[in-house]
Amino acid sequence: MITDVEMTADAERPAPALASAAPARGGRGPYRLVRSRWTIPVLVFLGFFFVIPLGTNVWRSVATGQALTAGPVVFYAKLLRDAYYVGILAETLKVGAIATLLCLVLGYPVAYFMVRHAGRWNALIVFLLIAPLLTSIIMRTFGWRVLLARKGPVTLLLHDWGLIARPANLADDPVAVYVALVHVLIPFMVLSIVAVLQQVDRRLEESSRVLGAGPLATFLRITLPLSLDGVATGCILVFVVANGSFLTMLLLGGGKVTTLSVLIYQQFNVAQDTGFAAAMGNLLLFVALICLAIQARFLRRQGVKA
Amino acid sequence: MTRAAPVPAPVLPAPVPLRRRRRPNLAAWALGAYVVLFLAFIVAPIAAVVLVSFSSASFITFPIPGYTLRWYWRILEYRPFLEAMWVSIEVALASTVLAAMLGVPAALALARSRSAFAAVIANLLLAPITVPAIVLGLALLYFLASLSLGLSLTALVIAHTVAGIPYVTRTVLAVYRALPPDLEEASAVLGATRWQTFRYTTLPLVRPGVFAGGLFAVLTSLDNLPLSFFFGSATTNTLPVVMLSYMENQFDPSIAAVSTVQMLIAIVALVVTDRVYGIEKLTAA
Repeated sequence: MITDVEMTADAERPAPALASAAPARGGRGPYRLVRSRWTIPVLVFLGFFFVIPLGTNVWRSVATGQALTAGPVVFYAKLLRDAYYVGILAETLKVGAIATLLCLVLGYPVAYFMVRHAGRWNALIVFLLIAPLLTSIIMRTFGWRVLLARKGPVTLLLHDWGLIARPANLADDPVAVYVALVHVLIPFMVLSIVAVLQQVDRRLEESSRVLGAGPLATFLRITLPLSLDGVATGCILVFVVANGSFLTMLLLGGGKVTTLSVLIYQQFNVAQDTGFAAAMGNLLLFVALICLAIQARFLRRQGVKA
Repeated sequence: MTRAAPVPAPVLPAPVPLRRRRRPNLAAWALGAYVVLFLAFIVAPIAAVVLVSFSSASFITFPIPGYTLRWYWRILEYRPFLEAMWVSIEVALASTVLAAMLGVPAALALARSRSAFAAVIANLLLAPITVPAIVLGLALLYFLASLSLGLSLTALVIAHTVAGIPYVTRTVLAVYRALPPDLEEASAVLGATRWQTFRYTTLPLVRPGVFAGGLFAVLTSLDNLPLSFFFGSATTNTLPVVMLSYMENQFDPSIAAVSTVQMLIAIVALVVTDRVYGIEKLTAA
């Protein structure tokens, strides 16, 4: 079946000159070393260990435990009607949104600096941005626990500056969750924006300046709109990953920030209500898919404009 | 993660820069100062952990009272750390090799096909990245348990392979798409068999992609706690799972020492891959 589709597609393409010199291959289309049937092993593997498990997860959420007696959507109804779970869902989206906004506001200037001013320092900045990705998430969370502890360096510094009244254990404050999330996710935001900002033609900015616009107006009306593509990619990436992370909330914030992922973890570890855990997982997956659909839409629109 | 900044394209020589001499560019300096602060924020927690790992105090305290290596000795004494480290490395290598064996041929087949069906398959191969690991882990555990593979090393390797396929496929697709088909065509014209063309022409050309993707897969696997903790048992606990349960009971610098060792392993892997296959060649492509 695969070969059929591919042959019709191949037939529409003009054959390059060299292809006719290789009569052994029928001389149609560019040389293809690997035939389509070599995708079969990975398709079987992913079908069996990716598509089917996610499918049975949907099945489990509508046909196990309570769902058998109280109707198939009982778990989803509980998630979307019960005030506690609605609160959790709202908290999940809120944490994701705040983390995304912080990453954008704090990360954009860094990306701008890297593309416009960093020069020979750029390699060092890229290295320092990527370096945290080489460390484990536990290491980074542990680091924040150390820094934000009651007698930790950051807490003492804030106290000395008079920003907090008395040293408190900031690691168990919800603010620690946001600090750690931004720390983990901001490299993705910066690198997404850098990738797009590099493509922006500087001559457009120069034209704007020559025509009398100030630096701020030039940035707001030329540079920023042209980099929106990277901003959107970065935001969606950060939002989706923030929604899925639970270790940060588990080890920081003193258990005061409970998101959907944390609830799945607890549900699995303590309650063992498989149907309900599956329903929560599907809700989380659904949010991620909406984000990706928005991204695909947005990028296509950008593509048409360009 | 893979959005490593490509080297900027050569820009046409700009005409005389505008008003360069009149403005010492205060704004750029302010921005630079901000970036320095930002980088301090990025490095701070990692530096703190490395520092604490040498602390002679048996609890976390600042300033560090004295320096010692005893927390590194503790890694060697505390069996679960060492055992889990081996499990982690085994799982990371096995799943990455498996992901490459499955993903590379598929990527080579998909890169030159323009059918809509190929695009769908390529998206399927990249999809596991977008599914939150905790959801994938949960779904896979129940599914594999129903095949009575629940808490086994096999289950762990399968889960990590699913997560690793997108990384390998993505880089190989990118590298192979950038290559002109002429080289392989020449090889075929000169009488090489398909296998010889693959072995002596294609493979050397896509190898940086395989290794960069493989490196990403290994690094993600080593740190994939959300996927690993579902399959945790005495023989299948990976390092992050053991570290998490250790942290829930104790808060001493040995976690810092383990973290530092883990970071060193990752850095060595990166440097070796870079030396042997040149990662910068890949990002420049």
